[in-house]
Amino acid sequence: MKDTARRDLMKEITALSFVLDETALYLDSHPDDPAALAYYADMRAKYEDARAKYEGEYGALTHAGVRGGDRWSWVDGTWPWEREDD
Amino acid sequence: MWIYEKKLQYPVNIKTADARLAKAVLSQLGGPDGELGAATRYLNQRYTMPDKENIAMLTDIGSEELGHVEMIGAIVYQLTRNLTPDEIKAGGYDAYFVDHGLGIYPSSAAGVPFSAACLQSKGDVIADLAEDLAAEQKARATYDYILRLSDDPDVNDVIKFLREREIVHFQRFAEALARAKDGLDKKNYYYYTPEYNVRRK
Repeated sequence: MKDTARRDLMKEITALSFVLDETALYLDSHPDDPAALAYYADMRAKYEDARAKYEGEYGALTHAGVRGGDRWSWVDGTWPWEREDD
Repeated sequence: MWIYEKKLQYPVNIKTADARLAKAVLSQLGGPDGELGAATRYLNQRYTMPDKENIAMLTDIGSEELGHVEMIGAIVYQLTRNLTPDEIKAGGYDAYFVDHGLGIYPSSAAGVPFSAACLQSKGDVIADLAEDLAAEQKARATYDYILRLSDDPDVNDVIKFLREREIVHFQRFAEALARAKDGLDKKNYYYYTPEYNVRRK
């Protein structure tokens, strides 16, 4: 039950992150496009929300996300190439 | 500087091991037209690009390709999980296994180790961008061939995503080439060593 929630949230983060990757490529060649800039800001806000939620519950996605505690939790959890049901 | 995010750009969840398919997919890690080659090309070409937008683009596409390197590694890792010696032999994976076990090593499907000899960073904006256009098409064609060899839907789903990215990158490089040509001295008809002629703005 908990794991389905984690997978769904990771799916959302993956999708939003991809949107940012793709928009960034467009902005690299159209750096002054106001619609693209607004879209990027909008998507980034959604992405950061989803990410904060994930990191709060399931662990850090980058070093900077490791917060508090007496353990470097970066070493814990599944790594991205491991299958979901391993 | 690179920051690592503990996620794949696109998920990889492969239910069935397949040594033979792993060998084919491996070529997109260490083969002549694979993701490691792409990342190496773009990240090295970007230093001498005269055009800021092109530096940004090569940096960002090159970084994305590193994400694809990881995805190919993930595919091969999952396809070769817990293979038995019989499965290794039946899949024609034994020659690779002798030197690398079930580890991930960048080589082509034919066993040629990854080499920068298959790519170029020429320090010349026209040559470099033309090289990049070719690279994206070669990668796209390799994914087409992999799709011909594979009937695993889990693998094909990821391969189709990676193939689409090659097509998008090709479009971006075509725009970049047009932009680079626009920025050149109009009298330089044959774009002769343009980076010596163009002062960075």
